[in-house]
Amino acid sequence: MNNEQLIESVVREVLNSMEKGITTKSTKQTSSNSNISIEDYPFGKKIPDKVKTHSGKKLSELTLEKAINGEVKNDDLKVSKETLDMQAEVAEKVNRKALADNFRRAAELIEVPDERILEIYGALRPYRSTKQELLDIADELEKKYNCKINSEFVREAAEVYEKRGRLKK
Amino acid sequence: MRSKRFEVLENRPVNQDGFIEDWVEVGLVAMDSKYDPKPSIKVANGEIVELDGKKKEDFDMLDSFIAKYGINIENAEEVCAMDSVKIARMLVDINITRDEVIQYTTAMTPAKAAEVVSKLTVLEMMTAISKMRARQTPSNQCHVTNLRDNPVQIAADAAEGALRGFDEEETTVGVARYAPFNALAVLVGSQVGRPGLLTQCAVEEATELTLGMRGLTSYAETVSVYGTEPVFMDGDDTPWSKAFLASAYASRGLKMRFTSGTGSEVLMAYAEQKSMLYLESRCVFLTKGAGVQGLQNGSISCVGVPGAVAGGVRTIVAENLIAMMLDLECASGNDQTFTHSDIRRTAKNLMAMVPGTDFINSGFSAVPNYDNMFAGSNMDAEDFDDWNAVQRDLKIDGGLRPIKEEEAIKVRNKAAKALQAIFRELNLTEITDEEVEAATYAHGSNDMPDRNIPADLKAIEDMMKRKITGLDIVKALYKTNFEDVSNSLFQLLKQRAAGDYLQTSAIIDENFNVISAVNDANTYHGPMTGYVISDERWNEMKKLNNLVKPEDF
Amino acid sequence: MEINEKLLRSIIEEVLNEMQTSNSTPNVSTPNNSKSEGIELKEIGKAEKGTNSKEVVIGVGPAFGVGQTKTIVKIPHAKVLKEVIAGIEEEGLKARVVKMYGTSDVSFISNQAAKLSGSGIGIGIQSKGTSVIHQANLDPLNNLELFPQAPLINLETFRAIGKNAAKYAKDESPSPVPAKNDQMARPKYQAISAILHIKETQHIDESKGTQQLDVKFI
Repeated sequence: MNNEQLIESVVREVLNSMEKGITTKSTKQTSSNSNISIEDYPFGKKIPDKVKTHSGKKLSELTLEKAINGEVKNDDLKVSKETLDMQAEVAEKVNRKALADNFRRAAELIEVPDERILEIYGALRPYRSTKQELLDIADELEKKYNCKINSEFVREAAEVYEKRGRLKK
Repeated sequence: MRSKRFEVLENRPVNQDGFIEDWVEVGLVAMDSKYDPKPSIKVANGEIVELDGKKKEDFDMLDSFIAKYGINIENAEEVCAMDSVKIARMLVDINITRDEVIQYTTAMTPAKAAEVVSKLTVLEMMTAISKMRARQTPSNQCHVTNLRDNPVQIAADAAEGALRGFDEEETTVGVARYAPFNALAVLVGSQVGRPGLLTQCAVEEATELTLGMRGLTSYAETVSVYGTEPVFMDGDDTPWSKAFLASAYASRGLKMRFTSGTGSEVLMAYAEQKSMLYLESRCVFLTKGAGVQGLQNGSISCVGVPGAVAGGVRTIVAENLIAMMLDLECASGNDQTFTHSDIRRTAKNLMAMVPGTDFINSGFSAVPNYDNMFAGSNMDAEDFDDWNAVQRDLKIDGGLRPIKEEEAIKVRNKAAKALQAIFRELNLTEITDEEVEAATYAHGSNDMPDRNIPADLKAIEDMMKRKITGLDIVKALYKTNFEDVSNSLFQLLKQRAAGDYLQTSAIIDENFNVISAVNDANTYHGPMTGYVISDERWNEMKKLNNLVKPEDF
Repeated sequence: MEINEKLLRSIIEEVLNEMQTSNSTPNVSTPNNSKSEGIELKEIGKAEKGTNSKEVVIGVGPAFGVGQTKTIVKIPHAKVLKEVIAGIEEEGLKARVVKMYGTSDVSFISNQAAKLSGSGIGIGIQSKGTSVIHQANLDPLNNLELFPQAPLINLETFRAIGKNAAKYAKDESPSPVPAKNDQMARPKYQAISAILHIKETQHIDESKGTQQLDVKFI
């Protein structure tokens, strides 16, 4: 930023804060358990040594040579829970809370196998499941895969589907 | 006696279009229906208990979902009580930053958002789009398909589209079972044309996710949401199943956006008497609530419906704007034919092209429209030069650039050969040299030899059974001396482990830099701010192929 | 076919009139037998799941032959059914026709037809002509072959649809019916298509479920 821009932006901020019609409660969350800042983004270019993939390998270790000679497996190319949590923090830092929440739900789902993900998605479609079947899925998510947010989400769906007549007939 | 002038006018293309009077009772009306609810909201104990005229106990699925997840509850009552004209003015006021406006707009209700944008002219909407779109740099997306699902042609067209400047490429199928080949072809072709480009294959939801998991696509878009509960059911989903799907994509490191658009509810016969814009506004809030980074809207495949009623195109601009007001990436449609008239389609496309959006077309047909399996786009491969000329005339960045014939031939040939090599290496079907040659020089599928379709379909079944993944493609390319393409594909696969392109409005440049609304946030606030066309880009845009030099005379 | 304002106006007026009358009288009478140009459709009770592996079930929309008797490009429903059935029989299989009162969506009509079919293969046809070949074990919005642009479906295509469905039922892998594409179908027909679909949807009557049809060509 050059000086002129800096001055302009400061003036703008001050003016804004003076003129604001609503008291905007800045919802910047500080739930961070790591020290990710916006400057670390994009991780792939800025901090490849700090990003671990699902198998525990560092992003910087993954090279084409290793892929060709078989040292890199599909699992090495999967995103890790840690990384998605870090992306959630970035999203929160730019005030995108819903997006961050999605990343946190996603972080939980990493451990659920592809086939099971597709089945659960199918079970959540309208008229596919009884209430008990949905509740069983919620329990499975919670107990087997430690997906706490997702299990609550599925329980909530079961309630709404019941109320709206969208359970298996 | 008939007037000769009227006879001439009658035969103009525009008079082949369907124009229709509003039919308010079934929701065949663009916006501001007398049956639309008045904006309202009540919060009790941190929970929304009334939304747009409905009490909590009367909420349908969409209301429940939006009330719980879609609205910034802290400022909600205050914003709902504000004069909508005042908020509309904030959208076009260059002295109020995007960040500040977002705090108001994300606290609105669906009916409020529809009311606010209804106060704007299209010119004001365009100004608002300049300020409110999430990513500062505008971009464009294309369709790569053909009538026979010919994979060789898809690869070649994807390569040329990439060279022309598109940042995303979308394919779809004529025959659903062809999806894996189409996905593979567009992926390989795109990386030949320009490393880092993102590709998708628009098919049924579960199939689309499977392709993504296998590494055959890098993002998804055709995850449709609708503005009424019965239509949602006919779409075979619920807000919860769709939101789960959104998380499923992110859990595999895959970018995704939802799709919705005005007209879908009335076209599917369950508009519940509401206007198209109000129902679309519900879709946008639902998308926001699901935590998806973006939305493709702008009527999309239903554009014949708003396109036929009064004010329909204005409504389409308005729905794009609502997506941006909710801080979502917006792929702004302009992707389907809605008129026989070149004047109408140009006028409509300018609404997004002039201000620039995250993806101006979603997409622009990179093949002639007879091959466009989305039933034709608003712009097609025969419009490339027109588009480039308009960019140059108005000095606006529509995302494309003029290219030389020999460059196009070169990348088309390389893409077709790369796919041929992969098919051989992975024991799929044969791609002959004759096909490679045809795809290199083809304009459309009329220039391509026929393939043995049942054999392709068998090979596809086998490929899916064998669980071929992106990594297998990387190896096959490397083995067959396409090291550079192999490397691009590998770098692309690595992106899903980094998660950077999951952030809002992300695209990836040729050096695998992720550019999103995080590191390229829109800062427009009046003249000489925001996205400014660089000298380098301007020089590229200026160089049309048939320029005449003054010194030649 | 020329689409002009006059025609649109007349369609709308017709629909509006129907809406008004349907407000005072119940939606559809039971059983809903109908006779239109060249065809007689008799409802003979709830459709059951078939056991004959040599049958293909054709599911038609709730307004078929009643509220609407022609496709969006004015092909009489009699001819549509005749061709599809001929296509199936040509392959040595049997056609069974059912009418869906529970849905007007072509994906669900065709998927439910497939689920009723002894062979697991079904065809769905909306009154405006949009058609799908479906298989019982696929997701509703998936399909074997989809013919989304109703204005482009002619009698030849309808016959080919029947033929291919029969081939799938025999476990063969036919070459899909060549896809057609007209990018100007949308500007010309989509709004009309909306109206026809709304009309068809007004014939939904969940209590009637899926009815077995006795088809007589006259």
